[in-house]
Amino acid sequence: MENAMTFRFVMFAAALTIAAPVFARPVIGKAAPDFSVTDASGKTQSLSAYKGRTVVLEWNNPECPFVRKHYGARNMQAQQAEAAKEGIVWLTVNSGAPGKQGHLDAAAASAYVAKVGGNEAAYLLDADGTVGHAYDAKTTPHMFVIDKDGVLRYMGGIDSIASTDVEDIPKATQYVRQALAELAAGKPVSVPTSEPYGCSVKYGS
Amino acid sequence: MKSGFSNLRPALAMALAGLAIGARAAAPPPATDGEHVSAELISEHLALAPGQSQQLGLRLRHEPHWHTYWINPGDSGLPTTLTWTLPAGFKTADVAWPLPKRFDVGGLYNFGYDDETVLPIALSVPADAKPGSTAHLSVDAKWLVCREECIPGRKTLTLDLPVATATDAPKPDPRWTMQFSRARLAVPQANAWKSVTRTEGDRLVVTLRGPGLPDKADGLDAFVEERKLVDNKPPAISREGDALVVAFAKSEYFTTAPETFDLVLTQPSTAGLRGWRVRVPFAEAAP
Repeated sequence: MENAMTFRFVMFAAALTIAAPVFARPVIGKAAPDFSVTDASGKTQSLSAYKGRTVVLEWNNPECPFVRKHYGARNMQAQQAEAAKEGIVWLTVNSGAPGKQGHLDAAAASAYVAKVGGNEAAYLLDADGTVGHAYDAKTTPHMFVIDKDGVLRYMGGIDSIASTDVEDIPKATQYVRQALAELAAGKPVSVPTSEPYGCSVKYGS
Repeated sequence: MKSGFSNLRPALAMALAGLAIGARAAAPPPATDGEHVSAELISEHLALAPGQSQQLGLRLRHEPHWHTYWINPGDSGLPTTLTWTLPAGFKTADVAWPLPKRFDVGGLYNFGYDDETVLPIALSVPADAKPGSTAHLSVDAKWLVCREECIPGRKTLTLDLPVATATDAPKPDPRWTMQFSRARLAVPQANAWKSVTRTEGDRLVVTLRGPGLPDKADGLDAFVEERKLVDNKPPAISREGDALVVAFAKSEYFTTAPETFDLVLTQPSTAGLRGWRVRVPFAEAAP
């Protein structure tokens, strides 16, 4: 039984890997791509495991100035904490390839989360870029909101002002926070896409 | 004195390009401020003439492999921004963005500038500017400079220029003659092409017709100034009879079609990049 499960999982993971380029364009209102990836604590994380809960994906590179803007001002950690309180699963993803800026191994990722006081449910290690490519994640940060049925409801920037300036955060519309509030209220997401801004995700070749 | 930036005569342009290339070959590698790019505020002329429009420039010198961004930075990055503090009555126009280069960053695309570039800015000097006085021009320049990693930069740059008398027309500053000559060649040229855009499923297809269209599609590249319209991958460009057809993939962030958008076409030449800008109407409502 367990072998069969493992086999099925491996086949699924293989299919996902092969299929990723085909589904490289996530679409609002359609099923978000599933994934299976190890987190900083060594646990396997998949989107399908969170069916019934709202999920946020956040692309991260600790050394990117846009990421530092939102962590330095504690904007990201505050939104992670708010989400956790509402039972929302916040997954931070690092698709930086080994040798590239911002790539973290498990130990370094745990140390980073502790250092910045991150409140995400898990920090996913996607060094081969499989999850990043499945979502066509382009920047750090790049944000996705997936509803309880696994449907993509928001993709884009964390907020509305593309800059590296902390002073802009209070002036900006926080799109993820807004989308989560609207979903919780049973309303349609009023801004379902925005162009993400940030550093490019440092994928391997 | 009026310095139109896009209607230089071709012969003069070619001569200046030759000058630029000759001088460039001998130029030492650019010096930077230790932050991978150095920024300077420069003026084409040594003085300002009341009632005239004159050229200023933000001169950016990048370390090898580092770049800053065009008005549309592409998949990541930020355009350089300028916030001016000027004496009463003085006005600056928006940056006349030079033709962008395409940078492939691991399958993602950025648009911008490397090596040395000048972002030209037209300055209007008020008619009542007092001859003999000094105008203090100040700009807060902000940029993002990237190789693979990115570093935000910010610098307040100033320039004090005398206001010339009516009888003594301002002379060009010999230090920057080459920079402004090159800058004139690096901005898109005006043209009399007719354009039309249609959407075909996930594609946005621009058809251009008119005199002086580039002969070959080889080496041509195209960019859209507005964001959220087209994907940042290189478009497919082909000659179809007398038309040039540029087919972009639609951006995944495309929501509504604007009435018009600005297309910039570039082609490498022996004198560096040359290019054109076309305001393209959206003929039909896009889904």
